[in-house]
Amino acid sequence: MNEASPGLPVASVREVRRHARRLALRHRRELAVAVALHSLGAASGLAGPWLIGRLVEAVSAGVDDVGRVTALICVFVATQAVLTGLAMFVSARLGERVLARLREEFVDGVLALPLGTVEEAGTGDLVTRTTRDVDLLARAVRYAIPDTLISAVTIVLTLGGLVLLGPLLALPCLVAVPILWAATRWYLRRARDGYLRENASYSRLAEGLAETVDGARTVEALRLGGRRAARVDDDIAASSAAEHYTMRLRTVYLPTIDVAFVLPVVATLVVGGLLYLDGMASLAAVTAATLYTQQLLIPVDTLLFWLNEVQIGGAAMARLRGVGRSPAAASGESRGPRADAVVAGSAAVELRGVSHAYRAGHDVLHDVSLGIAPGERLAVVGPSGAGKSTLGKLIAGIHAPRAGTITVGGVPVGALSLEELRAEVALVTQEHHVFRASLRDNVLLGRPSASDAAVESALRAVDAWSWASSLGLSTAVGTGGVELSPAQAQQLALARLVLADPHTLILDEATSLLDPRAARHLERSLAAVLAGRTVIAIAHRLHTAHDADRIAVMEAGRIVELGSHDELVAAGGAYAALWASWHGTAQA
Amino acid sequence: MRRFPDADPGEPSRLTPGHYLLWLARTQLGVVLLGAFYGCLWPTAQALMPYAVGRAVDDGLTGRDRGDLLLWAGVVLALGVLQAAAGILQDRCALTNALGARYRTLQLVTRQAARLGATLPRKTSAGEVMSVGVADVLQLGRALDLSSRGIGSVVAIGVVAAVMLATSWELGLVVLAGVPVMVWAVGALLRPMHDRQARLRDQQAELSAHAVDIVGGLRVLRGIGGEELFARRFHAESQRVRHAGVRLAAAEAVFESARMLLPGLLVALVVFLGARSALAGDLTAGQLVAFYGYAVFLGTPVRRITVFASAVTKGYVAARRVVALLALTPSIDGGGSAAPPVGGDLVDPASELVVKAGGFTGVACTAPADAAELADRLGRYVPSEVTWGGVPLGDAALDEVRRRILVAGNEAKLFAGPLRAELTADGAVAGDDSRLLAAIEVASAADVLEALPDGLDTVVTAGGKEFSGGQQQRLRLARAVLTSPDVLVLVDPTSAVDAHTEARIAARLAAARAGRTTIVFATSPILLDHADEVVLVDGGRAVAVGTHASLLADPRYRGLVAREEGAA
Repeated sequence: MNEASPGLPVASVREVRRHARRLALRHRRELAVAVALHSLGAASGLAGPWLIGRLVEAVSAGVDDVGRVTALICVFVATQAVLTGLAMFVSARLGERVLARLREEFVDGVLALPLGTVEEAGTGDLVTRTTRDVDLLARAVRYAIPDTLISAVTIVLTLGGLVLLGPLLALPCLVAVPILWAATRWYLRRARDGYLRENASYSRLAEGLAETVDGARTVEALRLGGRRAARVDDDIAASSAAEHYTMRLRTVYLPTIDVAFVLPVVATLVVGGLLYLDGMASLAAVTAATLYTQQLLIPVDTLLFWLNEVQIGGAAMARLRGVGRSPAAASGESRGPRADAVVAGSAAVELRGVSHAYRAGHDVLHDVSLGIAPGERLAVVGPSGAGKSTLGKLIAGIHAPRAGTITVGGVPVGALSLEELRAEVALVTQEHHVFRASLRDNVLLGRPSASDAAVESALRAVDAWSWASSLGLSTAVGTGGVELSPAQAQQLALARLVLADPHTLILDEATSLLDPRAARHLERSLAAVLAGRTVIAIAHRLHTAHDADRIAVMEAGRIVELGSHDELVAAGGAYAALWASWHGTAQA
Repeated sequence: MRRFPDADPGEPSRLTPGHYLLWLARTQLGVVLLGAFYGCLWPTAQALMPYAVGRAVDDGLTGRDRGDLLLWAGVVLALGVLQAAAGILQDRCALTNALGARYRTLQLVTRQAARLGATLPRKTSAGEVMSVGVADVLQLGRALDLSSRGIGSVVAIGVVAAVMLATSWELGLVVLAGVPVMVWAVGALLRPMHDRQARLRDQQAELSAHAVDIVGGLRVLRGIGGEELFARRFHAESQRVRHAGVRLAAAEAVFESARMLLPGLLVALVVFLGARSALAGDLTAGQLVAFYGYAVFLGTPVRRITVFASAVTKGYVAARRVVALLALTPSIDGGGSAAPPVGGDLVDPASELVVKAGGFTGVACTAPADAAELADRLGRYVPSEVTWGGVPLGDAALDEVRRRILVAGNEAKLFAGPLRAELTADGAVAGDDSRLLAAIEVASAADVLEALPDGLDTVVTAGGKEFSGGQQQRLRLARAVLTSPDVLVLVDPTSAVDAHTEARIAARLAAARAGRTTIVFATSPILLDHADEVVLVDGGRAVAVGTHASLLADPRYRGLVAREEGAA
């Protein structure tokens, strides 16, 4: 529900820095080559203005050096172009390598998350990290970091060139530094939130429209057209306000840095000019210095532009690295394997005094004790919120009970290693997921080594073979492939389980999406395949209960009735009343 | 800057793409013109910068005049300030134009989607409307945004051309011819690059979809296994994307080299020619420096014009899709003005179904599709022969039909917002919560409400995704009950709730709707047991009528609802 999820960890700034340093050290050779190539390229770029300065002086003096100087300009232009291209390629190759590794490590981390964490944190945060943060990091690694690097190298070299022309000529450049620094600091502090708000307002606009479009029939049926128009107008007002805010920031920032870029040019011209008039600098040096100063504009602008992105990339990396750091994932698995924990054959499930709460002080299960014999079929019925699903999750080992013990074949569920647990207990819920993979792979999850014949018999056991065989096992399903109906997805989930073949199966409303007749048929064919396995079926359809060995009726976190169908009907309690109504004899 | 939205987005005069674009521009003509003015000022100031620097070199340095040096340096500074001011003013106008086009179109698209209503899926697809509302509005905005910059660039090129030609017409011609050729060449090189970038983006999106898929199915993977299978596959695909990225980087590196080389060589040519004429005495040293500046500068406005041209083309394509959407009309028209009497029977000639006024009627259909079709006819969501108190629904005003007959099926959606407002549909009485709470009680949804941190003030997300299927169904039922229509048609209203809850809902619903026409399509005995009369529909026709208990004698009915014999 709406409870705040505890969320997944985020790596600290220090850890991100340490990791970045480790990455840089690991690839120091490639990194050095890239920086060297960029530097040589930038150095060649400095030759142009210098040569033009020489030319201006030569022309003023009437010396014909034009052909040679122009040829040199061409040579340097070509050198710069080739070196820069090479440098870009080398850094991109390195970037792609690092990026691939980071995203693979992230997915490995995700796949090692403990079940309990997955249940509690929900998948929303993980999806954001998977899509948004991986994209942001890619953008940082592909563009922001190399461009920042190139700009930094270019700025350093250009300043070096200015110093070579004459240390005094380099000084005027510095007038821009305090202005750029202060303005950029002011802007970056506010910009991130501003743009995030802007993006969020666009997501809201899109969501609002999507709701109107998807629910168009509901809009017509309930005559909600006016409300939908009001919603989009509200969202537009919010979006417009967010746009105005960032525009205000830019209105301060952009003219400030534009002027800050012109100041050094003017200052160099004036200072250099006065030095020249006093005979302290050559015409060539002043011209070259002015052109250098103008040239500085581009790398400085690039640097300022990407500065923010590098930071954002760092934040993305903190969230990605955070997943791998989830305590249990770091040590591989939370469950310590125990030699004596091996359970042979189908085993009894035993609950003793089990209570559980998701929030402290709000128990949803109260002191539940229940023994389930090997091979027994138990149905759990009761109103929503009675604690049926929680009971299933506890037996499946997803959560540890707050109080009491749950054992399988005498071994506490929490003491089983993940491997052992999977061989022992498996849970199928209403929630179904069809993977973007072939139909075969979707079933194979339970036992990757299984043959096609085994897959076929698993699909037959859940009445799915008729549609599955007409699709073909190699057909891609899931998003982007053939879309399966919710009922088919549910059959697929059950087929996985049949193939995995654990000793105890917990089916939590696992056939609720099928139509009643098909559900009953499926349950009967499943029963044939699962003969000898322990089955705990949580259901709201009473025929499931009717077919079971025993029925547990739950209300408000307690088991209030327990017995076979006939016993409970004879007892004349809550179950009997329900059955009568269901059976159509209520009016009697 | 102007604030949005306008309360009334207005209406485009004629539904053609060209007219639509012009209409958008006309709704904010003042800002468009102002933007064009700043759009001219900005590049002009920028274009004059090299000239002023050149004069500073000539008059100040070569001419050895301190005053002239300071004067022209001052002009450079003034031009810089002017450029900065014009730049931001132009940005602000452009943003207003873009936002105006975007928001106005979005308002029209939303209103149109609401107007199409149930017809929407038949006339277009959800994806199509979304792509208009998300992507096309951006293109329209861009077309208007760039209009002022495009005009400005043309003017800037004109100004620079005039200055250059006045200084040296030969050199001016070389620059004027060379820059467009260079921009064209870079553009031609860029096009295949765009295709490759798009392909990499697609591959990247595919990879991301794979990762999202893994996250989405994580409970399954961690529950029964298969992690290695999926990790292996993800690694393989990630490496494929990596290699594609490296291949693209190689192409980009070549492009980047060309992009530096071409203008560099043009500048070298200008410098060569300029220096030659300077030697011949036709050009001063400062003018040489200025020409260098022009050649560097001109790339920007020329590139901008090509960008503007492509933005207008894309804007036109976007406008075509917007106009096509706005031109759609609902397939059920408003109808006539006949007013069906209150308390009349509903009769569907096609199935011979008769629903008695004021009763609780259960309809059990052997085929689920029959239930959906019948409900659509009863609510006139399709052309329908149904009569109500003898008056054909087709002769009544559609709005009247919607107001008095509510068809609520499981495809109905909950909308995002505070729960109180979302459960109170239009027409339901607002004010104190008593009627709302009563409706929630009927739907047996009080426990859903209790679990919410802020009760009725809780903001729910689109589709009520935080609720389970059964909880959503009960909330939707509460919303339908609260509207209290003359005729309430419910399709499988309890398919996702447990038997206990279903029994409660059935009893409360029958009591709450006592005396008012209620039709429930269902095959659940618990629900049908509470109906005054049950109609069995087989093969699209009403074949038997009676109470639930009496119909149980009919083997067709028994086979459908009493499931212990249902296993075929």
